[in-house]
Amino acid sequence: MTSASIADSVKEKKTTALSSDLIGTLAIAVLGGAAYVVFPDDLGLLTRILAAAFFVLSLCLVTGICGIATLGHAVMYGAGAYAAGYFCVQGLTDPIALIVVGAMAGAVMGAVSGAIILRTSGLPQLVLSIALVQLMHAAANKASSITGGSDGLIGISPAPVLGLFAFDFYGRTAYLFGLVLLVCVFAVLQRLVRSPFGLLCRGIMQDRVRVAAMGVSVYPVLIRMYTISGAVAGIGGALIAIATGVVGLDSVSFAWSAEALVMLVLGGASSLYGALIGTVVFMTFEHFVSAASPFHWLAIVGALLIAVVLFLPKGLQSFPARFLVKLRGGRRDHSS
Amino acid sequence: MTILLKVEDLSRSFGGLIVASNISLALESGDRAALIGPNGAGKTTFINLVTGSLAPSSGRIELAGKDITRAASVERVRLGLVRSFQVSRVFREMAVRDHVALAILQREGKSGRMFGDPWKIAAVASEAPAILEELGLAVVAHEPVSQIAYGQQRLLELAIALVLRPKVLLLDEPAAGVPRGEARRIEQALARLPSDIAVLMIEHDIDLVFRFARRVIVLAAGRIICEGPPAAVAADPHVREVYLGSYANGSRSV
Repeated sequence: MTSASIADSVKEKKTTALSSDLIGTLAIAVLGGAAYVVFPDDLGLLTRILAAAFFVLSLCLVTGICGIATLGHAVMYGAGAYAAGYFCVQGLTDPIALIVVGAMAGAVMGAVSGAIILRTSGLPQLVLSIALVQLMHAAANKASSITGGSDGLIGISPAPVLGLFAFDFYGRTAYLFGLVLLVCVFAVLQRLVRSPFGLLCRGIMQDRVRVAAMGVSVYPVLIRMYTISGAVAGIGGALIAIATGVVGLDSVSFAWSAEALVMLVLGGASSLYGALIGTVVFMTFEHFVSAASPFHWLAIVGALLIAVVLFLPKGLQSFPARFLVKLRGGRRDHSS
Repeated sequence: MTILLKVEDLSRSFGGLIVASNISLALESGDRAALIGPNGAGKTTFINLVTGSLAPSSGRIELAGKDITRAASVERVRLGLVRSFQVSRVFREMAVRDHVALAILQREGKSGRMFGDPWKIAAVASEAPAILEELGLAVVAHEPVSQIAYGQQRLLELAIALVLRPKVLLLDEPAAGVPRGEARRIEQALARLPSDIAVLMIEHDIDLVFRFARRVIVLAAGRIICEGPPAAVAADPHVREVYLGSYANGSRSV
């Protein structure tokens, strides 16, 4: 190989990232559209999956990309949900404006909670994140004049999207609105993860001492990612507020934070696709298996999680690749 | 010659235990110095004091004429004081080429960019392939670190340090744990370091030290006991006593 071609081989990608990103985003749009056509009676569940997808994507940014341990991620989701709900009740009913409000509330909550928990790492960080979500849960319960307390924040009735598409009883508008949002946000996050900033965050996850020895101040970088993550979670919260018309205390709960982590690990923590796959599988499982066997569904989810962690440590998203490798290996055996 | 790193009367103690005692040394542009000493002599403490991981009890550190005694460690890196690690600290699940890209982006102040492909940035596209090729890492550029040999990881450490364009480079046992054949590759790379930077190497392998360094500094019990050209240091009876005992008594001569 000449030196010029070696240089080219270093620069070139194994696959062209941009086109694979585009295909991935299109696939989400197509699958989301197909779900709308195939399951017209389950749009409520599908919309909840969309909102959860934002939440788990947001967790993926901090846990999967930066390696931050958190079991309190719902503070950002809840902030988005309550902010959007509150503003809507107060008269700001445009759904797009409410999504922006949710994103901003989530971002602020991300910056504030990040400033606290990112001072530590590992186990102390995990405990701090739990403490934060419990505090916010208690605060939301106490501030019942704003949040409705344990009755929930009700009376959220957003105006039609762009003044054209009213939110209907079947949840068609809500689902399609959420799907368009998700596709847009996913496309942006894909670019973010591949950017220099994304590379830096992955470096921090693997060895923050090494990154610091390159001259990087780690803390501000993490705060930035935490803020972005907060905005994404806030969009999910705002979406569920708009779609269901109610925000409950469970949106800022420890349980919801923990479920997000389970979904993320199930799908594959280090990949945005993994976050989506984990969300869809977990939420679908929860819906159908809990209906069939309300007392045993968690045990089944537990078994599934153990199987995934043991046999697919990189989550369900790694299954197709591993399956392909096996298949190719098998073919090679036949030919030889 | 310009003095790039100047350390004056640097001391540090933990309670009553003195781990660095009035250490003074200066590194000039083009210097190839080695810091040696028996285990527990305070070599790593010294590196930690200079890089800012540890605060000195007293003393002063200057980098290219600028007082950095109180500067944060990341600030020192940005000013040109770069270290490599004794045990390879590279990102296990990151491709080799991305390590170099990240270091270049950081140097250029572009590591915070939230859009675009790192490999489309001119400095990365032009420099990264060159340095990887020079260090023989181009063939594994796309491999994650967990898939490459340990010697290659050490070379990658060197690549990261070099693209940061240091004024002063601190090498903490660059060839530790590397099999002989691969160690030669590292030594070649060390011999080709940019001639204007000052290099201070900490190393246990005396043979390597004597081939690389033009100046040897001997540390024992937290203080410098001898300093000079390799041959003079090897001949110093005091050094033989505290450090080279096995060499002096054994069949090998230094």
